[in-house]
Amino acid sequence: MSGIRQICGKELARVFYDKKMLFSVFVLPVVIMIAVMSLVNTLGRKQEEDVESHRAVLCLENAPDGFEELLKSSGISYTIKPFSDEGEVQTMLLEGEADLWIAFPEAFAQMVQEYRQGDAVPQIKTYYNPSEDYSREAYNTISTGFLELYRQRLLAERVDDMAGLTVFTVNSDNPEMMIQDDAKAGGKLMGMMLPYFVTILLFAGAMGIGTDMVAGEKERGTMASLLVSPIPRSAIVLGKVFALMIISGISSVIYVAAMVVFMPQMLGGSSEELGISLVLSPSQIGMLAALLVAIAFLYSAIIVLVSVFAKTVKEAGSYITPVYMLVLVLGITTMFTNGTPKEWYYIIPIYNTSLALQGILTQEVTGGQFILTLGVTLVLGAAMVIGIAKAFESEKVMAI
Amino acid sequence: MIEIRDLTKVYKLNKKQMKESRTTNPRKTAVDHLSLTARPGEIYGLLGPNGAGKTTTLRCISTIIRPTQGEIYVSGHEVQKEPEKVREKIGFLTGDIKLDPQFSVDYMFEFFGRLHQIPEEKLRARKEELFTYFGIKDFAHKKMKELSTGMGQKAAIAVCLAHDPDIIIFDEPTNGLDVITARSVTDYLKKLRTEGKLVIISTHIMSEAEKICDRIGIVIGGHKVMEGRLDEILQETGSEDLEDAFFELYRQTQGEE
Ligand SMILES: Nc1ncnc2c1ncn2[C@@H]1O[C@H](COP(=O)(O)OP(=O)(O)OP(=O)(O)O)[C@@H](O)[C@H]1O
Ligand SMILES: [Mg+2]
Repeated sequence: MSGIRQICGKELARVFYDKKMLFSVFVLPVVIMIAVMSLVNTLGRKQEEDVESHRAVLCLENAPDGFEELLKSSGISYTIKPFSDEGEVQTMLLEGEADLWIAFPEAFAQMVQEYRQGDAVPQIKTYYNPSEDYSREAYNTISTGFLELYRQRLLAERVDDMAGLTVFTVNSDNPEMMIQDDAKAGGKLMGMMLPYFVTILLFAGAMGIGTDMVAGEKERGTMASLLVSPIPRSAIVLGKVFALMIISGISSVIYVAAMVVFMPQMLGGSSEELGISLVLSPSQIGMLAALLVAIAFLYSAIIVLVSVFAKTVKEAGSYITPVYMLVLVLGITTMFTNGTPKEWYYIIPIYNTSLALQGILTQEVTGGQFILTLGVTLVLGAAMVIGIAKAFESEKVMAI
Repeated sequence: MIEIRDLTKVYKLNKKQMKESRTTNPRKTAVDHLSLTARPGEIYGLLGPNGAGKTTTLRCISTIIRPTQGEIYVSGHEVQKEPEKVREKIGFLTGDIKLDPQFSVDYMFEFFGRLHQIPEEKLRARKEELFTYFGIKDFAHKKMKELSTGMGQKAAIAVCLAHDPDIIIFDEPTNGLDVITARSVTDYLKKLRTEGKLVIISTHIMSEAEKICDRIGIVIGGHKVMEGRLDEILQETGSEDLEDAFFELYRQTQGEE
């Protein structure tokens, strides 16, 4: 059927000869994706760094001699804020002017020094404001971190053999404590993101062009001239679906490539820092490509099918929105599900593709699951193409 | 040759259409048991008032819509049985067939030529001939959306004739054109006739039918009420000119109802 090539060629020409269209289909989504992700990450890191470099503002009550020296020598940067009564500290904590209030009992040093078995154990009280980032950070490093150190120090003064009391330590000297396959970790991370990009960007990208291809052609009155050409209706349909598929296929390749290249930027750190790397084997790439082509075909068929029933692009847009929602739900639920997927999950169209994409990247998908996914996707796409060709035969639907 | 046997076309109206035409009948018979034969080397004109069913008839011939009843043979091929064969033979034109606005006349001409599988060389020769005849060369590289109505209509005619069809179906050929452009279009139709092609047009313009049609079929309310050469029609109705004849026939059908 030579008509397929001509129709497909015309639809491609429409996009590729139009610079504005090229930009909005292939470049803009990637730029937006990278910009948004990097922005989110940069802002997040900025805030983290800011909190870490902040000088903790402490209010000390009855601090024993030597406490401040020890605090200073531990490398924690802080300033001391004087106060007159409890009420004042509380307001300062509430308003974020002070970060941590450490209240020792009166004569703390003496209590520790003269402790006998059976005496009450002195208690240090610390107060903080968990809705303030600085305060929370001060609480973590000082109240749970430094005070433990301080306790050990005082304990060492009381007993001779500290080691006898310690019993055991956990990871005090074990730099290799994280054991993971870097490639698998990279795959896992990308497997989380890929379904998201495939569904959101691929479908959304194809949506505008696809509705224009069919409903737009009806609206402009150019459909009739195609319908009186000596080519079968199915050739018109396939030509359009293939064109849409090629366009969304190319864009998906661009998206995925951009994702791999810019992943460090988007996550805010180089791949070494993150302890991941992404190395794909040829068979992984082949499987990914096959799935992407298949899903591009299915999406294109869905979009064209929906647009056939609309008279105008606007109408097509309103029909496609609920479909998009459904695709979105099916496509990105994998981002939030854990555990091994059940075998029958691979029958659910779109969802199975997300699962399989993830599975390929983490090297956990089986050959059977992959074939099943591919088969379901292609068969459903083909069924839709038949449906579209049927609709093309109907004068009611074509409204001519 | 076009042979229409007992064509009936019934449209199913949806609620909105029923409201618009103030009817509760969901079925609208646009063409009612109409038969006609048009032969190569003639211009056949379907003449009738608005809503008579002219466009519907031409669309049935062009395989765009399906007859509800009856058969239509185009060069021996039945429209429902071999629609693709029919489409190879015809060039279908209407005022509301439009070409993609973002493509140039050149592109559209080549696109449709290839859809009809015209060899490149022949396509180039056709383009030269048609573009010269209609004076399209000056704006052949322009996008359709940049053309005026007349230029657009000329371009559409050239594109629809790219494959040199034996049968030309033209719904209201001069609709929306100025007298000069209209004349060049009707002259071209006459040229096609002398080349031995079959041209079938629809019109509600009496003078147009008088001047260019070899035979005229008068359609009122989906029925063909009379057919023949101009002199035959005038003789049979005893009228001076086509307009009088038309009114005479129109009066008669109104009387029947
Ligand atoms: N797609 C359609 N659905 C429903 N009714 C239709 C449709 N197309 C035409 N009709 C109706 O069929 C009748 C015949 O219409 P048609 O377009 O064939 O008339 P026409 O002779 O071409 O008129 P005109 O001179 O106004 O172009 C009209 O009453 C019209 O309202
Ligand atoms: Mg009409």
